[in-house]
Amino acid sequence: MIALLLLLALGGLMQVARSFAPLAGAAGVELAFGFLLLTAFFSARLLHRVGLPHLTCYLIAGIVSGPFVLNLVGDSMTHDLKVVSDVAVCMIALTAGAELNFVKIKPYARVLSRMVFFAVIGTFVVLSGVLFLVRPLLPFFDDMPIADSFAVCMMIGVAASAQSPSVVMAMVSETRAEGPMTRILLAMVVVADFIVIFSYAIVSAIAGAVIGGDIDVTGEVASVSWELGGSVAFGVAIGALLGMFLRTVKRGASLFAVMICLVVAEIGVRIHLDPLITMIAAGVYLENVSKADATDLLHDFESAQLPVFLVFFALAGNHINLKTLVSAIVPIAVIVAARASCFFVGCKLATRDAGVHPAVRTYAWFGLVPQAGLAIALALLIQKTFPSFGNEAAVLLLGVVAANELIAPPIFRIVMMRSGEAGKRAADGATHGH
Amino acid sequence: MIALVCIGAAARGQPAAAPPEPAAAPTPAAPTPSPWPGSTPPLVLPKPPAPPVVAPPLVLPTPAPPVAAPPAPAPTTTAPAPAGPELSSSQKTWFAIKVIGGLVALFVLAFLGGSRRVARAQETLGVANVIAAGFPFVALGLIASHPRIGVLTGDVLDQLRPVMQFGLGWLGFIIGAQLDIRVLDRVPKGTAYIILVEALGPFAVTAGACGALMVAGFGAKLEDPALWRDLLILGAAAAMTAPRQFRGFAMRSWREGKGVDILLAQLDEIVGVVGLLFLTAYFRGNAGVGAWQLPATAWLFVSIGLGVALGVLIFAMIRVPTSNAEFLAVVLGSIAFASGLASYLHLSPIVVCFIAGTLVINFPNDQKDSVFRILNQLERPLQQLFLIIAGAVWSVNDWRGWALVPLFVAGRAAGKWLGVTAAHASLGSEIPAGFVDDRQLVSPLSSLSIGLVISVESLYADGALSWITTAVIGGAMVTEVLVHFLYETRTSRLVADEVAQHSPGSLPAPEEIEAKIDELDDSGPIYREPEPDDTAAGGHGPGGTP
Repeated sequence: MIALLLLLALGGLMQVARSFAPLAGAAGVELAFGFLLLTAFFSARLLHRVGLPHLTCYLIAGIVSGPFVLNLVGDSMTHDLKVVSDVAVCMIALTAGAELNFVKIKPYARVLSRMVFFAVIGTFVVLSGVLFLVRPLLPFFDDMPIADSFAVCMMIGVAASAQSPSVVMAMVSETRAEGPMTRILLAMVVVADFIVIFSYAIVSAIAGAVIGGDIDVTGEVASVSWELGGSVAFGVAIGALLGMFLRTVKRGASLFAVMICLVVAEIGVRIHLDPLITMIAAGVYLENVSKADATDLLHDFESAQLPVFLVFFALAGNHINLKTLVSAIVPIAVIVAARASCFFVGCKLATRDAGVHPAVRTYAWFGLVPQAGLAIALALLIQKTFPSFGNEAAVLLLGVVAANELIAPPIFRIVMMRSGEAGKRAADGATHGH
Repeated sequence: MIALVCIGAAARGQPAAAPPEPAAAPTPAAPTPSPWPGSTPPLVLPKPPAPPVVAPPLVLPTPAPPVAAPPAPAPTTTAPAPAGPELSSSQKTWFAIKVIGGLVALFVLAFLGGSRRVARAQETLGVANVIAAGFPFVALGLIASHPRIGVLTGDVLDQLRPVMQFGLGWLGFIIGAQLDIRVLDRVPKGTAYIILVEALGPFAVTAGACGALMVAGFGAKLEDPALWRDLLILGAAAAMTAPRQFRGFAMRSWREGKGVDILLAQLDEIVGVVGLLFLTAYFRGNAGVGAWQLPATAWLFVSIGLGVALGVLIFAMIRVPTSNAEFLAVVLGSIAFASGLASYLHLSPIVVCFIAGTLVINFPNDQKDSVFRILNQLERPLQQLFLIIAGAVWSVNDWRGWALVPLFVAGRAAGKWLGVTAAHASLGSEIPAGFVDDRQLVSPLSSLSIGLVISVESLYADGALSWITTAVIGGAMVTEVLVHFLYETRTSRLVADEVAQHSPGSLPAPEEIEAKIDELDDSGPIYREPEPDDTAAGGHGPGGTP
């Protein structure tokens, strides 16, 4: 009850501000930051009682306060908050990378490779086919030649198959899960990220060549190599730097790491490196190669994660347009269902006769369903680089992402509970206690 | 966190010499949208198709404005950037790297400067009184804003404005949170009078002296409201003092047994807050901005009402968290929300957060310690960062500001003397003698004075404000040097007296001398809870140094 009253009070004060000046300046950034942080926190307090995971509560807070519902937090206010999201992704990636202990994952190497083949690559192929079949429902395919349509379907299929390490990490952190399924899932979404980026680079080049009649193979190879190889190399260097800091300076390591995340988030993209891959590589190096003990750093990070998660996911919700989601509901529903089915079948095939824990066989597929950052990035990339159909394709893709953002986390939470791995990690009670 | 927002925004901004980037057809080298949810533009309905283009190679997304609604430009109070040639992609990248690298370096320096180890080292070197006020950080800001360094350019500072506002809100909140009204019931009789005259003396004399020079020497007009605004700022800044040994706002909660200077400094700061309250109500620089057209007095009540509403709200909110991480999130969010709301309405974040902080602490609750723990954690880095920004917005070239400095310093001392004399004359034996006898006429300027000037800088944009900034920051520096000199002399005398009173074989232990010096650190009598005998004797406290 108190949470509801507080939310109403916050909303009322925000409405007061908006009635004073609809367009925000610098003050709007700070106001939006405080408002999203508080509303996400108290929404989680309120809605968690009905069984919704925190992440979904944060998203709902963002949707309700966003420009498409109450318009308390407009686009002009949140634009400069982008860096919070960028840094959040880097922090999550660093933590996710540090969760990947090769020694612990080694026993699952065989099943991981099979899952990559069946669930990730298999999903590209199937989704491309499904998209090709549902073309009549999508107006932007109307006047497109068959070859072009096929190339575009491949590109959208790859983008639609992207997973979300951020959501998986957030859910693992919230449920304090630990066990074979959690380890396989984390490894899986990280590896899948690499594969999706790599595959997208290839299929978008093919699509560009088919539509425009030109392709720069050398340029493509160089670009993808730099992006993947450069990110990994840069990440290893950062991991080494962090390790050195942890061993020599010790105090203030979490602040140092946050600064590193900021630098990678802001500078990395300018030199065409992927911040996600970079920080995952840094985390993997720290966990598996460095002699430094990163436990304290990760513990401090967990404490700092709550404000970051609150704003990060509330911002994500802030941009979900429910109207568009409803208007394209049929093709979106088809793709969402096909995508989930592909993961289900793919994982079943991959784990058949693999001798894995029953929880992996039964539940792991669902960890691939949530979507967030990478899929959105690819949707926007299509929108930007293919003006002839990019807007419509982006609407479709963002609709799929929005549906998965809203539906997947609550189910994923139930899945984690049922797998028996929730709550197995040593509790510190500091991060997600609410 | 707010700082991160602004670093990112600053780095995305163009260098001052560059005009906004024109919309370009997508090419392989064109910037592409950001990948992460926070930057996602809203979904847009399909637009008419455009001709197809060749797909570019995959480049990792760089920031782009939202699709549906481009952001409103941040209000610029710094000089407009001259038009210049558009920067190439590599130049923009280099600019971003330079700005981010520079800002990160400044943040790290602020963090290191705020660490206890560095503070202890400064005290050991005997420079704590200068360093504590943070002038090296002001100098750092000045250097970083130099055109040849180009880290804290006008555009970057505009993008850092939310950090500044958060810092001001935090400052107001912590000052308000220190004001435990119950303590005031227990201070000696006449303390309120002393505070009033000791604040009004420097206020009136400094404002009068500087005003005379501004009218006679700089051509300011008496009928110009801006002159009265500037005098109000100068007077309020002069009225606020800091305790002799300032170890941070969060560390100076006054209690019985601590030097009374700490209490007096806290109460002095109310003068500054009240000054700001009137400034933002009666001198609204952006009067035309916003949908509310209210009379000036109404804005006074809007400020107070907003502060009270936020205080009650924050008080209710801090009762909810159950862990440190949650507490951090709620306190951080509360201060950002309160100062953001105040800034949004063109009110002073210091004033609104001060009122909120006072209410939060004075309502009965068990969360006070947790609030102070969070405030304390953030204090030094935020304060140093704030001073860096203060240095960056400080224009040192105008000689008229420097001409005001001696008047500002002398005016404060003369005003203080007037106040002490008036208190002495009026109260006589009613107040413990030490309360006025041991008062220093040259006392350090409160950090809030600099905060006040910066706060006003962000509300108004006219040339005279640079004089005021120079007068206050320059005056604070000169005062620190004077205080350091006077303090050293006094300490040396105390040590010499101690040594002289003892034969060579019976010198007191060094820690005993140090303890006496520490008492002087508070540069005033130490007030203790009245003993039964004292009360019976009619005194409200022992007064004087025990």
